[in-house]
Amino acid sequence: MSEIVKVQGLQKKFGKFKALHDVSFTVNAGEVVGFIGPNGAGKSTTIRTLLGIINRDAGDVKIFGKDVWKDSLEIHKRVSYVPGDVTLWGSLTGGEIIDLFIKLHGGGDKAKRDYLIERFELDPKKKSKGYSKGNRQKVGLIAALSVDSDLYIFDEPTSGLDPLMEAVFQEEVEKIKHAGKAILLSSHILSEVERLADKVVIIRQGKIVETGTLDELRHLTRSTVTVVTDGDVSRMASVNGIYDFKQKGSQATFSVDNEHINNILSEASKLGVKKFESVPPTLEDLFMRHYEV
Amino acid sequence: MREKFARWNVLFVQYLKRDWKKIIIWILGLGLFSAGFVPAFEEMSKGQGLLGMFETMQNPAMISMVGPTPVNTAADYTLGAMYANEMLLFCGLFAMIMSALHVVSHTRKEEDHGLTELVRSYQVGRQANSLAVLTETVIINILLALIIGGIMIGFGADTISAEGAFLFGASIGMAGILGAVIALVMAQIMSTSSGATGSSLGIVGLLYIVRAGTDVSNVDFSMYNPMGWVYLTYPFTENNWVPLIFAAIFGIIAVIIAFALEGGRDMGAGYLPEREGRAAAKKSLLSVHGLLIKINKGVSISWLIAFAILGAAYGSIYGDMQTFLESNELMSQMFTLSGVSIEESFTGTILMVSMCLASILPIVIINKLFSEETRLHLSQLYSTKVTRAQLYWINIILAVVAGLLGTLLSAGSLGGTAIYVMDGSSSMNMGDFILAGYNFLPSVLFFTGLAALALGWAPKLGKAVYGYLGYSFALNYFGGILDLPEWFSKTAVQSWIPQMPVDEFDGTIFLVMKAISIIFMVLGYIGYRRRDMVEGA
Repeated sequence: MSEIVKVQGLQKKFGKFKALHDVSFTVNAGEVVGFIGPNGAGKSTTIRTLLGIINRDAGDVKIFGKDVWKDSLEIHKRVSYVPGDVTLWGSLTGGEIIDLFIKLHGGGDKAKRDYLIERFELDPKKKSKGYSKGNRQKVGLIAALSVDSDLYIFDEPTSGLDPLMEAVFQEEVEKIKHAGKAILLSSHILSEVERLADKVVIIRQGKIVETGTLDELRHLTRSTVTVVTDGDVSRMASVNGIYDFKQKGSQATFSVDNEHINNILSEASKLGVKKFESVPPTLEDLFMRHYEV
Repeated sequence: MREKFARWNVLFVQYLKRDWKKIIIWILGLGLFSAGFVPAFEEMSKGQGLLGMFETMQNPAMISMVGPTPVNTAADYTLGAMYANEMLLFCGLFAMIMSALHVVSHTRKEEDHGLTELVRSYQVGRQANSLAVLTETVIINILLALIIGGIMIGFGADTISAEGAFLFGASIGMAGILGAVIALVMAQIMSTSSGATGSSLGIVGLLYIVRAGTDVSNVDFSMYNPMGWVYLTYPFTENNWVPLIFAAIFGIIAVIIAFALEGGRDMGAGYLPEREGRAAAKKSLLSVHGLLIKINKGVSISWLIAFAILGAAYGSIYGDMQTFLESNELMSQMFTLSGVSIEESFTGTILMVSMCLASILPIVIINKLFSEETRLHLSQLYSTKVTRAQLYWINIILAVVAGLLGTLLSAGSLGGTAIYVMDGSSSMNMGDFILAGYNFLPSVLFFTGLAALALGWAPKLGKAVYGYLGYSFALNYFGGILDLPEWFSKTAVQSWIPQMPVDEFDGTIFLVMKAISIIFMVLGYIGYRRRDMVEGA
């Protein structure tokens, strides 16, 4: 797989405030990378650096092997971007703005544009000052998806969209992923990241604290297990690798370290298992671990 | 180069498409205003008109307002000379302000709104937007210059030569370009669009006041002032193109500085450091009036300082006026015959101008409540126990207080400086100045009331109040020069008020206008209480 985005040791200061301490990650072709982190962690700053809109203080940031600041124009030929809050010229219609953006990108597919306008159910004849937040967001998405790029950067692209439109967006992203494009998706809608992302990068206070596939990350975190036994379930509480033990009659709920799962299973089977449910950690669980200091 | 300016031409075409209505109004409006008064001036110059106007224009007070003329004898004071003398600076000032506002609204403002971020993610150079806006503004000003020249020639007046007419237009166009480059530089230095607008207008205002001083003391120094290059071309008399070359060089240097500054900064950042704010609110903020005062603080303080400076600038001329009168027998006879002193006559005029300006701040404050409303800043307040009555009346009180303070500062600093420079020989004391200022208070209140009425019933017309104020100002400003019919002058609200100290105070008009203003405010309240809040429009 070819590396599309490569960020190494990125640092950025705003005055005295150090927004990015040390950011490193990569995005490969045909891969969706979920970029998540609490508000103010540095997601948008990183993305703006990638776009060459702001300049870094240190580190090596490359897209398509080119420097994001010096060769931003060359890079932008093959990049599409949608910010989390799309602002538009109020006096132009949505259709006009989409056409302008396509032209600024260097030309796109007219049929694709019309298809997307229909899919996202946007009224392109309306002046954009009359659009709701969701509709402004659609303008940005349609413009970005109508053109042929190799890297798509989405910064909370679905904020303000209704669930139906969110689903449409996810389908379109899957299509471009299968076409071998690289996608960097920053989002707070973790179910969206969970569904789309192959790899997750978690940033906190300007530092990357976790990188890996969802499976890899899950492995680091405990699963939640619920068991119902014939015997006295409270004996499970003392088994090695079990945490947060809670009992309710013959039912117990606890979290387990994945490395001890075999041992726990055999201990439980001694008590006569009537029900055994194991839920892998959701992205939210992973995430909360990093949110909480 | 490509990295900097790629696709600026696409943006440029886009801006023309977007702005064409504004551009037409801009060019035609300013063009007609700048060039269209030729017939009126022809009317005025009949008989002894030119001679009288020549003498009037030798008055340092007039020079400080409209600029000097290179003509030394009344015989050389032709129609063209008079037109350039009285109109050029004022029209140039307009062109400058228009261009400055336009440039900031398409550069810094779009950056604040986040539009630039989206545009820049495309194959658009870092500074393509600035180049596109600058090109657009320069072309608008070139068209403006040509239109002004064309219209003036069209009148076919004897002393309005083709060269002079195009130089007149070019001077105004160049003024616009100067305004544009000043704004472009400030848009890089300041970190918000309001800061960029404020500082650009502040610089323009400062240049105007500085040139008033140098015009009266030694006009050669005005040649070092960018504002001076606008009118020192002296169309129809000396036809001097050299100042325009200075202006062009200044413009090029300013653009290079602006581009260098823009190239060296991050999008959304400025060069002035941002201070860290408070973690908790001060007690003074925690009330409706506290909030409204905080919102209006910056703009109010800047305007009040501007009033004080303007008053002091005009006040400093009173000394020169006396010297002028002693050296000019004709004028001194005129003033002796009419029974008023020159300073009294000038005070009446200048205070009317100052009071037009003092009306701006209350309108700004009242309109601010509506812009807060449309920006959804008030949405969360409406859902608290804060009532519309509180918002409305506290805002009105704030506006009225701003009007009172503005009047006091304008008249006070005018009087204070005037009495100081005249060194005891003044026929007026401080009280006379203040009284003459407050004599115009009803007009300030009238505009406050008008803005309040708009806020209650048709908030989108709030901006039109500025239009009416501008109209009244122009009528009053030119009313003294042009011989306008009575009914026409009376459409400007200030002309109902007698000009103290020359005229007698008229208590009836004073009270009636105040009453009308208060009725407007009450009517406005009735509307404000009942109407739907406009959100996000």
